[in-house]
Amino acid sequence: MGYELRDHTADVAVEATGPTLGATFAAAADGMAAAMCDVIPESGGERFPVEVRAESREALLFDYLDELIYQRDVRGVLPVDNEAAVRESDVREPAGDDGEWTLTGAARGVPLAGLGARDLKAVTYSEMDLRETDDGWRAYVVFDV
Amino acid sequence: MTTDDTSSEADGGTDHGDATVEGGDATTYDAGEVTLRKVREHVWEIPKEGDMRVPARVLASEQLLDQIADDKTLQQLQNSTHLPGVRKYNLCMPDGHQGYGFPVGGVAGIDAEDGCISPGAIGYDINCGVRMVKTNLTYEDVQGREEELVDALFANVPSGLGGGGIVEGDIDAIEAILDRGMEWALEEGWAVEEDLAHCEDEGVRHDSQPSKVPQKAKDRGKNQIGSLGSGNHFLEVQRVTDTYLSDVADAYGLEEDQIVVLIHCGSRGLGHQVCTEYLRDIEKAHAGLLGQLPDKELAAAPAGSQLAEDYYGAMCAAINFAWVNRQLIMHRTRQVFEKVFGTDWETLGMDLLYDVAHNIAKKETHTVENGEERELYVHRKGATRAFPAGHSEVPGAYLDVGQPIIIPGSMGAGSYVLRGGEESMDLSFGSTAHGAGRTMSRTQAKQDYWGGDVQDELEQEHIYVKAQSGATVAEEAPGVYKDVDEVVRVSDALGIGDKVARTYPVCNIKG
Repeated sequence: MGYELRDHTADVAVEATGPTLGATFAAAADGMAAAMCDVIPESGGERFPVEVRAESREALLFDYLDELIYQRDVRGVLPVDNEAAVRESDVREPAGDDGEWTLTGAARGVPLAGLGARDLKAVTYSEMDLRETDDGWRAYVVFDV
Repeated sequence: MTTDDTSSEADGGTDHGDATVEGGDATTYDAGEVTLRKVREHVWEIPKEGDMRVPARVLASEQLLDQIADDKTLQQLQNSTHLPGVRKYNLCMPDGHQGYGFPVGGVAGIDAEDGCISPGAIGYDINCGVRMVKTNLTYEDVQGREEELVDALFANVPSGLGGGGIVEGDIDAIEAILDRGMEWALEEGWAVEEDLAHCEDEGVRHDSQPSKVPQKAKDRGKNQIGSLGSGNHFLEVQRVTDTYLSDVADAYGLEEDQIVVLIHCGSRGLGHQVCTEYLRDIEKAHAGLLGQLPDKELAAAPAGSQLAEDYYGAMCAAINFAWVNRQLIMHRTRQVFEKVFGTDWETLGMDLLYDVAHNIAKKETHTVENGEERELYVHRKGATRAFPAGHSEVPGAYLDVGQPIIIPGSMGAGSYVLRGGEESMDLSFGSTAHGAGRTMSRTQAKQDYWGGDVQDELEQEHIYVKAQSGATVAEEAPGVYKDVDEVVRVSDALGIGDKVARTYPVCNIKG
């Protein structure tokens, strides 16, 4: 359970597994951080909350990783030690809302200054795979770098 | 995708393809899941089949095709022909490789009336591109001062992640940049008029609609105005080693031994966020069309829809942002040269040769299948516009010789300046390659190379490299790229982009 960086000609792919959807999403986010920085400091930085809603599980994974990239740029931090819980709403949200899947999570934001981290531009849907396995969930995501 | 190892070896070490030879010339290329038919030298076609709306073409030598067929490039190229409104054929340039959705090196001419526009077929880094700045310095003037120069550039040009920008923009500045591109830079004293005259579209897309750029994109962009970023983006001081078409080289002001500066970067987080948000909006609003496409990353807004109009306006605004980004980096580079060489930049002859985009979609008029003239959204993702002499959209300065095309190689190999070729309008929607093209993954590169070793080896070759991250140097090691000489040879042989000059690195900074 966790993540591995996978080969891709020009970009970077992350394969993440976890016992729950939330743990798998958080592992994908940790993999994204590893793609940007080889040695992640074990301490430092403040935790900040992350909340995302979307219309499907795949869309939620996409939007979650996109939100972390956004927070990285506006806060000037690398989001690491990610935690996430995913739930499907019991009641369908009113029309026009962002959807019925919700992620509530947090990340530790390590200041980018002096970190020597590399940019990662965006999350993509290309070859995205999210599926239930015997042990939990597996996610495969390609990032544009 | 190997089909027959024995015959592959027999025809010259091919690992992945199997060219069928008839009368001394290969007529087909077996790439495993697909077979390409040779149309003529360096032009290979995947015939239309299944849900493909048009054929797909690869412009490559067999040597390059072996590499192109080695990953999912051909599959991605075939997938892109499912987009509605594609005309003639979708193309992969000689430097093509696997991307996301549409391959890098992909060109598609999609009807602007009954087709669509696809953000993923343009790329997240809208108006990623290259500009070349000339100087009247010679290599001799720089020799012995490379380290001083590379240190000064590295200290003054923001790069990497979280390195800030040359300008900290407020909302008014962002809006003005998105609206007016390099005209804003001129008003603010970051550019001179001649800079605008030597830029694709004179540095401004008047179709831009800043109000259509999402707020989150503006948030990401405001502290990145004038920054290189990371990955394959860089600033490189180079020396001209060869010139080929002397009349064109004269018109471009290039001669052997001359020092030039090449800047490669794009629209930073602003452009990435524009692409991301429109991809999601299109996915939600046009699910029916998306359901017909083989890859979700190809999500497209039908021509004439509100989202197609909005995305086009936002993309044009991001194009303006990228031009300003490269302009500010050039301005800072001029200041660094002034300080290092103790002479003002005008006296150093630091004029812009040209600035070209290589991740972009543009409304252009082209002749399609039946000889009809159609307005198309020409999608170029990792491909460069290559308009020939006389084309109405070539800037006045180059109207008689054709537009300059700048093709960066790796930091251990040459880069090239080409000019738009006579055949480009007929063969490739007025396009050619954009670089060397990767052959090795970043993860593999980091296993095979160590940044410090790469830097030391390059220094033995008198190339001085400085980067925020050693891993970036390893990921961008010269060995991970295709042979840029071969890419350019094919472009030149096809007549889509003609070889004008070759340059070689002197010093290089990157994220």
